[in-house]
Amino acid sequence: MAERKRRIPGWLRFLRERVPVNVEVFEELSKEPVPNHMKNWWYCLGGTPLILLGIQILTGILLTFYYVPSPDAAHASVDKITRALPFGWWIRSLHHWGANLMVIAVTLHMIRVFFTGAYRKPRELNWMIGVGLLIVTLGFGFTGYALVYDQRSYWAATVGINIAEQAPLVGPWAARLLRGGATVNPTTLTRLFVFHIGALPTLMLILVAFHVFLMRIHGIMEIDAPPAVQETPLTVKEDRKGKRRFDPDRYFAFFPDHITTEMIVALFLLTFLTMLAIVFPAPLGAPANPDETPLHIKPEWYFFPIFRWLKLTPLPLFMGGMILAGFALVFWPFLEGAWRRRRPGSEAAMLVGAASVLTVLLFLIWEALS
Amino acid sequence: MSEQTGSTSVSLQFKKVIVALFAVAFIAAVVMVGLIERERAKPEKAAVFHADEKSQQCINCHEEKHIAVNWIRQWQQSRHAEKGIGCIACHEAKKDDKDKWEHEGFLVTHVPSPRDCYGCHEKQVEQFENSHHAKASNFIGSLDNILGEVVEGGPAANLGCKQCHGSTVALDDKGVPVAGSWPNTGIGRKNPDGSQGTCTACHTRHMFSKQQAREPRTCGRCHMGPDHPQIEIFEESKHGIMFTAFRERMALDADEWIVGKTYTAAPTCATCHMSATTTQDLNHDVGIRIAWTLRPLVSKRMEDWEAKRDRMKGVCLECHAQTWVNNYFRMYDDAVNLYNNKFAIPAQNIMNKLTEAGKLESTPFADPIRWTFFELWHHEGRRARMGASMMGPDFTQWHGFYEVAKHFYAKFIPEAEALLPGVSKEALDMPEHAWKQGMTEEQIKQMLDFYQNRYGQSIE
Repeated sequence: MAERKRRIPGWLRFLRERVPVNVEVFEELSKEPVPNHMKNWWYCLGGTPLILLGIQILTGILLTFYYVPSPDAAHASVDKITRALPFGWWIRSLHHWGANLMVIAVTLHMIRVFFTGAYRKPRELNWMIGVGLLIVTLGFGFTGYALVYDQRSYWAATVGINIAEQAPLVGPWAARLLRGGATVNPTTLTRLFVFHIGALPTLMLILVAFHVFLMRIHGIMEIDAPPAVQETPLTVKEDRKGKRRFDPDRYFAFFPDHITTEMIVALFLLTFLTMLAIVFPAPLGAPANPDETPLHIKPEWYFFPIFRWLKLTPLPLFMGGMILAGFALVFWPFLEGAWRRRRPGSEAAMLVGAASVLTVLLFLIWEALS
Repeated sequence: MSEQTGSTSVSLQFKKVIVALFAVAFIAAVVMVGLIERERAKPEKAAVFHADEKSQQCINCHEEKHIAVNWIRQWQQSRHAEKGIGCIACHEAKKDDKDKWEHEGFLVTHVPSPRDCYGCHEKQVEQFENSHHAKASNFIGSLDNILGEVVEGGPAANLGCKQCHGSTVALDDKGVPVAGSWPNTGIGRKNPDGSQGTCTACHTRHMFSKQQAREPRTCGRCHMGPDHPQIEIFEESKHGIMFTAFRERMALDADEWIVGKTYTAAPTCATCHMSATTTQDLNHDVGIRIAWTLRPLVSKRMEDWEAKRDRMKGVCLECHAQTWVNNYFRMYDDAVNLYNNKFAIPAQNIMNKLTEAGKLESTPFADPIRWTFFELWHHEGRRARMGASMMGPDFTQWHGFYEVAKHFYAKFIPEAEALLPGVSKEALDMPEHAWKQGMTEEQIKQMLDFYQNRYGQSIE
């Protein structure tokens, strides 16, 4: 024993004495059993947004070093980042494309969770947190796009806030909160900036922590397993010595197997984002001009379906539809649970899901082409 | 561990290979970013440029000998370089040209002139040649020129007056410009090829930028100082304040620059005097919208002044409403008339009387009163009028009319009276000067009524 102690380097002993945690617990945690279906790439979509979040945080911090959140200087600072600063265009383009891919990854992850029924008992709350994460992601997109402060970004933000203002009860309050006044004014940019780099990241990290925590304590849903197995968290299975064990034919280890897969995803994303940055660098239009409303105002593409819905319907119907869709999305696991209790084995969710995805896609393409 | 990963060990190995492949791919992508960055960092790569064969020879030789290489760098960032307009297009000379210079096997000129620009910018050069700018060096014989060349001395004039007004470029027997006459980018420069003016006064070589010409500071190089402080007046005015506050919204580098369309934040000198509006085209004749001449002792209406005033009003109307514009010009005209009638014409009459009475030396600036008189109209008088013309309140008042009044009453009149007693009586008998005799309340009221009637405060 004494011999073994001598082999521990001094710095490690120092660290262990001051951070007296049981290393074995971490080792154990790293061996989280992962169902074999996760070897399929399609099932890596949950980790993808997390990787992208890391990229966004890193590039976002670098951009914040030079970005100036004031109406007079915002566009000029973005221009400086893009044209004058070494590697500025690359970092900005990574952030720009990272944001786009983030929306895609989150959406695909939700679609996958939906169609595999992974939101069902006992994972309903995690679905709701996931919906929260989607909303926060869109919030990031909206506020981030506004910060560029070119004509498109300025007017998209103005119109976006005006639309939000129409929501019953909270709308006017939320619009005032975002704008810092009755109309868009110099404070608005500061507020959007604070949301983008302060409030939303904090909210997102809290939600992600809960999302991952719930995912870990429930274990990952086994797609092919019977409901009884799905509802039993995998992590509580222990052998007589208290060690967790699992069937290697059905599961593989989080470390190193799954983490290697995620590394591949991370490296692929970095390469892909860099290629996008090279081929399609983040654009920058003419500086925002509050006196000159452009002929065609369009939000970012991920708001296209909502924008098209707005164009198609009178405002009360638009708001009603949005509230109904939002309610259905958030409480979907419970709505479907109630339905399935009446009609066990019903796969109506597949129809609802397919119809919803197709409608959103149709609206998106329609708006893009208009 | 093995029992946990046993069945996946093969795929784990495979995954590691993929990790390695993607790591290489990512490193390659980052290297590509690095290469792009290195290219971007080169100043000469900031713009795409093309040089013809002869021009490329010029570039190679200058690069090799490291002579004026930054001119090459600047040219490479210019629109000229993008379009393939090289050194030769502007610098090439013909056998018969006075300014031809045999240089490394080429016949070139040191001094490209508007005539060289004319080949491509025909309309702009024609407009410019009609302007006062092109004739700015025709001031030989003027009081300013005698002051610079004689009273002060030639070297001062070479680096002072002539750098703005323009020199007459003189050549040695090899066709090389001589010191004293060149370097010079004065806007009315007399060029060896017989042309007058220089485009590079505002579109500095070798970037020849539109953006630079739209910058108020470009005009401020010459339009500043005690006798024509336009840049200071602009900076004091609301227009200048708006420009400073919102210059990033001015789109100064836009290809097409139209007030009310491309930008709305503020006007610059170019906006009002030359640039395009939604109703007028860009015009390189800087006087096309100027109705008064504020330069001479007594301001005069320019030829065809009504049309010029309408053009200027047209610019104002891009932002302001009709009543605002009409009232402003009424107030401006009143201020100029006040200066003319109350100070300039009476002072001129007094000087004429002193001359007729033989009280003045024949040489300009030989008598102290001539300096006083010169500054009265040339410095203070212009400041007052120019301040009024460009809405600079402090230049209209304290740097302008106050100084005019102070020097008229407290310096000029006493100096004139000392030379010829009673010479100013006629002038001072004008109702505008009656206050000097002391006034009752009733007389003050009459005086205010007089100003109201004569200069008006009514709305047109």
